[in-house]
Amino acid sequence: MIARVADHCFWLGRYLERVDCTARVLHVTLHLSLDAELGPRQCWLPVVIVSGEREAFFAKHGEAAAGDSELVQSYMTWNPQNYVSLVRSIAAARDNARSIREVVSLEVWETLNELYLWSQSPAAREEYASNRYAFYRTIRRAIELCRGLLQSTMLHDDPLDFVSLGLLLERAGHSARIVDVHHHALRKDETRLDVVVETGVWLSILRSCSGKEPFMKRHQGRVTGPAVAAFLILEPLFPRSVRHAVAEAHARLLSIRPAGANDLPGERSLARLAALDAWLSSRTPETILPIHDLATYVVSETAGICEEIGRELLGYGGGTAA
Amino acid sequence: MAEEPLPSSLFSGYPSAPGTYDELVEPGGPLRLPFRRALTPLASASPDAITRWQALAERALLNQGVTFSVYADSRGTEKIFPFCLVPRLVSAEDFSHVERGLEQRVRALGMFLDDVYGEQRILAEDPLLRDLVLGAKHHLPMLRGLRPLGGVRIHVAGIDLVRGPDGVFRVLEDNLRTPSGVSYVLENRIVSKRVLPKVFEEARVHPVEHYPARLSEVLRSVSPAPHDDTYAVVLTPGPYNSAYFEHSFLARTMGLELVEPADLYVDDDRVFLRTTRGPRRVHVIYRRIDDAFLDPEAFRPDSLLGVRGLVRAYAKGHVALANALGNGVADDKAVYAFVPQMIRFYLAEEPILAQVHTFVCARDEDLRYVKDHLDRLVVKSVDEAGGYGMLMGPTASAAERDAFRRRIEAEPRRFVAQERLELSTCPTWNGATNALVPRRVDLRPYVLTSPAGPWVLPGGLSRVALVPGSYVVNSSQGGGSKDTWVLKGTDPGRTDR
Repeated sequence: MIARVADHCFWLGRYLERVDCTARVLHVTLHLSLDAELGPRQCWLPVVIVSGEREAFFAKHGEAAAGDSELVQSYMTWNPQNYVSLVRSIAAARDNARSIREVVSLEVWETLNELYLWSQSPAAREEYASNRYAFYRTIRRAIELCRGLLQSTMLHDDPLDFVSLGLLLERAGHSARIVDVHHHALRKDETRLDVVVETGVWLSILRSCSGKEPFMKRHQGRVTGPAVAAFLILEPLFPRSVRHAVAEAHARLLSIRPAGANDLPGERSLARLAALDAWLSSRTPETILPIHDLATYVVSETAGICEEIGRELLGYGGGTAA
Repeated sequence: MAEEPLPSSLFSGYPSAPGTYDELVEPGGPLRLPFRRALTPLASASPDAITRWQALAERALLNQGVTFSVYADSRGTEKIFPFCLVPRLVSAEDFSHVERGLEQRVRALGMFLDDVYGEQRILAEDPLLRDLVLGAKHHLPMLRGLRPLGGVRIHVAGIDLVRGPDGVFRVLEDNLRTPSGVSYVLENRIVSKRVLPKVFEEARVHPVEHYPARLSEVLRSVSPAPHDDTYAVVLTPGPYNSAYFEHSFLARTMGLELVEPADLYVDDDRVFLRTTRGPRRVHVIYRRIDDAFLDPEAFRPDSLLGVRGLVRAYAKGHVALANALGNGVADDKAVYAFVPQMIRFYLAEEPILAQVHTFVCARDEDLRYVKDHLDRLVVKSVDEAGGYGMLMGPTASAAERDAFRRRIEAEPRRFVAQERLELSTCPTWNGATNALVPRRVDLRPYVLTSPAGPWVLPGGLSRVALVPGSYVVNSSQGGGSKDTWVLKGTDPGRTDR
């Protein structure tokens, strides 16, 4: 496989996941803000933080603007300068797919292209204005369709492995940031939150990762902060847990670059990913505290692994490999 | 046989353009006899239905991303190639004539290239042709004596045909380097079948979808490696090239890797692809990059594009290039005037297909005629394509004609002229008036050549000038396209191509 093509596959996966995560967080937060008895700022600031846009957003709109739900949503949906906004991420995913149209299946390309064309059309603006839930749901459905089509219409070989690798590493980072930002934000105010409010917030965190029902199956309805955090980080069978995403990413990288294949590039990427996988597998609910330290480590380590993969396998920086 | 009733509600009142041949409609209104049965279902459709189908077709093309990039626009602008769902039909009889003519022509052009880069026998016979060929921009003297793998030079040809008022198909232009457009032939067909399933089925049309499989076979047939071990790739300049859609389309439909020049390198005169699993040897390159940008070592030392050493590998016979290097000398617009002569010289046959009479300005008497008749001639620069560098004498202003006259006088070798041809028209849907209007069309059939000989795809790209009265069908200048339906004959033996 050509390194340049692998790079487009990897970023296609990352952008697909980013669009999905952002749309889900916006959707869930909109839902939460209606009845959570939290101030608008407590609802919407975490959205900005999770996306990594706190500084850019404050610089542009001021700190107080984080309490303006419409402004946050518009910034996270439409702003062309915000490189993680929905329309920009959709365009980036589609651009990557367009550069490798002979690699992705026709079905995947058409689905993504239709989503892109729709996101640029007046119809999308109208739906955003008239039915916000439907707007976010349309985007999530299209991404879910893309993910399904990737699995069901493409050969399960290197190109799909690179898409999955990008997608899973993006997911691991996102789940870690979600746990971190909410945990962090809540801890300061812990004494002032009553049980009902706290339960609402933790449920919405679970929903942000599509994890409410899986969590309930594990915990029979007992929703506590530490249990939710442990679930989203450690549950090996939940597809959006940090541990599951990292283990799956590790498996994908192993099929791209088998462990003993020392003549192939990718040795350091594989070593770092294997180490992170092993480290997470050895954690227990007791050893994930403090959450903030763990989340920071996971976020910086996944970012570091992505850079290493770029250097070793995707042809960044001189292109010694591949 | 009694005259059939004319079920042509959609075609009744169709305003044929006087003095032109219409592809579907006879003078006076009836549908052409070979197409009556096939077009009956379409003729009985209501204007509302056509409007709806047209919208469906455009939506399908946009969603499929069947687009081309426009050079004149900012980087990366994509447009759909305008499509008219009313098909252009070609009868079995007409196409069989075209097919035989194209095979003959491509055969002769291949022999001409062999000769130019070999003994140069034909040049010894004709001093003017000799001057034109040896001075042609695309002539590559360094290739002399080099025989490409499998002996094939014109793996893919796109020959532009037009029809004058007499209804005779004439060759207007040969494209022997990197002819484009075949992806639209295949995509237009998918749309036709989706939008007009009943009409299509009734019409009994030759399929075209096997083109990529045929092309892939041609690529393997000239490989330096055994058939099954051959690794072939499609080489594109990249996503910002105007034909990028087609490059990725062909790679996808042939199952080949689409590569950019930087993905390839040459080591020990062999070509390799950089992959995530190390180097991979490449045997055949279907390249959609002009000669001049293929290899900076051979052509443009200052260029950053291309694959350094590729021409050395080609010369050693370690890699096949399709099409071969140096073909531009045979699709030069001045050399075109000599193709009938080539057919007689190499094949000892009379040309089956007519072509357009061409004044070669390098010839003194032609130059005099051209200068005196600019107001009725179309003047073309010999080495530009895509409708660029042309003078449409009859519609140009006096000042434009004077300016062009000076350019011709300065470099007569660079220009040829032809009488303006009244291109045939085809009924085309006008969304503004909800009616069929005559618009000028041409036809580009595709010819694939392997060591076993040429093969013609039963179909082709019908380009249509969407602007009323316009003669320019190029997509870069506002043209659109139609699906071309080559009807099956009544002879059951000829249905399988």
